[in-house]
Amino acid sequence: MEQLTAVALVTLLAASAVELSGALPRLRAGYWLSAAAALAALAGFVWLLAAGGTVAFDLWSPAPSLDLRWHMDGLGAFLGAVVALVAVFSSVFAVRYSHPRRLDDAVYPLFLLSMIGVAGAGNVFSFFLMWELMALTSFLLVLGDGRSHTQRVAALLYLGMTHVATVLAMTSLLLLAHAAGSQEFGVMGSSAAAPGARTSLAMMLALAGFGTKAGLVPLHIWLPRAHPVAPSHVSALMSAAMVSTGIYGITRVGFDLLGPGEAWWGIALMVVGAITATLGILYALMERDMKRGLAYSTVENMGIVTLALGVALSFRAAGADGPAAAALMAGLVHTVNHSLLKSLLFLGAGAVQHGAHSLDLDRLGGLIRAMPLTGAAMLVGALGLASVPPLNGFVGEWMLARSLLSLAGSDASVVTGLVAAGALALLALTAGLALACFVRLFGMAFLGVARSVETRPVREAPTLMTLPLLGLALLSLAAGAGAPGLVRLLRGVPEALLSSRGASLEDAHRVALSGGGSFSPLVVALALLVLAPLPWILLRLSFGATSRKRAPVWTTGGSFAPTMQYSATSMSKPLRLFFKRVLLPERQVTVEYHGSSPLLRRVHYAGRVPAVVEERVYLPMHSLAIWSARRIRALQNGSVEFYLLYVFIALAALLAVAR
Amino acid sequence: MNDAAASVLLGAAQLLFLVAASPLLQGAIRKLKARLQSRQGPPLLQSYHDLAKLFSRSEMVSATASVFQLAAPWVVLGATLAAALYVPMFAATTPLTRDGDLLVVIGLFALARAALTLGALDSGSTFGHMGSSRELAVGALVEPALILGLGSLALATGTTRLGEIVAAGAHDGLGFFNLPWALALLALAVVTLAETGRIPVDNPDTHLEVTMIHEAMLLEHSGRSLGVLHLAAMTKQLLLACLIANLFFPTGLRADPGLASYLTGAALLVVKVSVVGVALAVVESIYAKMRLYELPDLIGSASLAGLVAMAITVWQR
Repeated sequence: MEQLTAVALVTLLAASAVELSGALPRLRAGYWLSAAAALAALAGFVWLLAAGGTVAFDLWSPAPSLDLRWHMDGLGAFLGAVVALVAVFSSVFAVRYSHPRRLDDAVYPLFLLSMIGVAGAGNVFSFFLMWELMALTSFLLVLGDGRSHTQRVAALLYLGMTHVATVLAMTSLLLLAHAAGSQEFGVMGSSAAAPGARTSLAMMLALAGFGTKAGLVPLHIWLPRAHPVAPSHVSALMSAAMVSTGIYGITRVGFDLLGPGEAWWGIALMVVGAITATLGILYALMERDMKRGLAYSTVENMGIVTLALGVALSFRAAGADGPAAAALMAGLVHTVNHSLLKSLLFLGAGAVQHGAHSLDLDRLGGLIRAMPLTGAAMLVGALGLASVPPLNGFVGEWMLARSLLSLAGSDASVVTGLVAAGALALLALTAGLALACFVRLFGMAFLGVARSVETRPVREAPTLMTLPLLGLALLSLAAGAGAPGLVRLLRGVPEALLSSRGASLEDAHRVALSGGGSFSPLVVALALLVLAPLPWILLRLSFGATSRKRAPVWTTGGSFAPTMQYSATSMSKPLRLFFKRVLLPERQVTVEYHGSSPLLRRVHYAGRVPAVVEERVYLPMHSLAIWSARRIRALQNGSVEFYLLYVFIALAALLAVAR
Repeated sequence: MNDAAASVLLGAAQLLFLVAASPLLQGAIRKLKARLQSRQGPPLLQSYHDLAKLFSRSEMVSATASVFQLAAPWVVLGATLAAALYVPMFAATTPLTRDGDLLVVIGLFALARAALTLGALDSGSTFGHMGSSRELAVGALVEPALILGLGSLALATGTTRLGEIVAAGAHDGLGFFNLPWALALLALAVVTLAETGRIPVDNPDTHLEVTMIHEAMLLEHSGRSLGVLHLAAMTKQLLLACLIANLFFPTGLRADPGLASYLTGAALLVVKVSVVGVALAVVESIYAKMRLYELPDLIGSASLAGLVAMAITVWQR
């Protein structure tokens, strides 16, 4: 385990150095080395998860109490494994996909290194060192060459938000470190403070700080901007792996560093999670850019995981560690499954961009004929995120819905029960909207006929790009049908944090939760594999074979034109109107006439769905900041006497206060 | 006879019953509806003849369609039949008791919806796209009502397994029929109207583009595919009728039945499903179809009824 980790870290540094030196740029050695390093790290972390226990060693002590310490427990190994898993596939994908650019290629391995470092950090200092490295490297990757305005805006917004988030998260951890008298996670965890104002403050700061990284509403606004503008292999890493570091942070503080807390912590997380999930998927449905839609779906899924953490915190506050572990397990399982599915879809979007030269769902169509492999893989990803059984996306949501029902029926307070009932309703709504969203995303891109004819022909992505896609699709299928195996692998994490496994394992093919309820994805898969072909066989035997003819699409007599099809925008129109009080869609129709005659000259139509949080919350705050900066600037008049006066006033004030 | 063999037998019996009896229910509803509207209506067994005709006809497929349009009918039927294995029909038990619960049934309905809508998008026809768009929107609204309606029963009985809910309800006797029960029934009734594509949500008798949802998705299908899709829709209708009948009126069903009580359960089921069928025909005759954009009010009220049912159950526990 130590050796594998060390090999991985050194290989990543070497990969960065090779790319920085610019030697042999055609070899793409940096990405191959990154893939190898990720594979080694994955093996080590999965081994640690399976074996249990912790691995700790000191790396470097630049100054007293600034120790760079590696201390990986089950939760850390979980995050590390998720990161490494995504990294293996996105690194291989990047070999053919990414355009060589020395800085990007050198930063990419460091980005991987920093995320693995976050997972392995054993104290507050190392954690934030790695956290900041992660923020800066991902900022550089989002910025790219910075030639386009969208890229610069997205990158700067991300940089700003991530630093506010870091301040909040760091305050939270420093508060806890101060209370515990040590900055080592191991010591802080065992000397958990009694619940009170200070622990509540630490929890909420952690929720806001780490929640920004996970994209929780209303702190999500950077995510749908920054994730899609990066190249697809980086988008996959950010949207599937980096958001999980936010979840890791909340879990670390809420379940490890803090003891059982107040009942309202769980309620707060459930409310934030349920609202984030619903709004995330609603906005994903409204997007016509495939990658932006996927980014909003990340917001949705992080909401679902946060909801699960909230349920677990509520159970924990009520002293029910078994059901708490079951809910935590739901969150962990969903995190893994989301990482698999989302990296699959983001890499698939890269393949679509490569093969069809567009990501605009209003223009694409019919890709399945030219890109069957990419299409097959993305179908698995889309149905998985639509949480349809027997795919893996359903498993975590089943566990979560079951936990919510247990919480509503438990002897926790009535308020908790009511919040759980409401969250269940929103979770169901989210699942229904996710189905609409991903049928639309897949159907608009891959089915029907291309809506706007591109000059360049559509072609299947090269093997080095389709292989990672198919690998991720197979892993997703395996994680669905083999969900009990995944639960078995992860059981050490809730066991270490809550001294309960969360799920019983007597059943080989069933997921059976501590709070009651069992489910076998394998049986669902087998039932479908039998019951779908069986009618086909029976009808063939009793009614014989029938012939099949091909004919053009029926268009009530006219000739078919691709623009007759629904576009992605028209596809989501019913939902846009159903939820108009939430989405506040805008629509502008201007009609021009020929002078005073009633004959129409031109009708201009424009519609958009505004990013409400951004425009109603952030823009006024931004204006306020600019306004107050202008006022403060009046103090800066450049004359030395005034500055001396300020110094005198400051000194006098200090003396008056300190006296 | 061991448990596995009993489960297989029960599963086969349930599936046979569903497939064999669902065209009859469809025919009976159509006949009753026609009589209520002072029409003669098609013969009771017309649906069987229609299916037999479609099953032997050749198919016409859109030139641009891929494998999705061809596979969709079979996946829709397969998912609907798979869902039936988690629903108690003749007794307070299911063929796959420990392998899934009401959430899996909801999930399998979602899978059927995914297959149906993807198949309709595949043809490239405007009607298919229109139907998919509407079906997905209505489906998203129905989901909370469905989970809250079923969830409040699960909450009251402390289990999500449908067989155990029925068993607990049968055991509780009259105490089971309380206010949350009534609200949940209301929610599930609206869900059934929406999921079976009936007035006021959808109109099964029309091919007018401004109103249709389900029929629009079937337009590009023909021959055997169309027959299978019709059969799947009828199967789902009977399955939902069984679900409502047994969950809300569980009296007389046994959790550990012998052959005699299976037969009693089957007889009871036929009576209860007939009542549900009459209700569907009456509702369809006395209401008008709602505008698509008014549906959130109807289905939202159903969700709210479910939420209130859950809230009362939480309050009372």
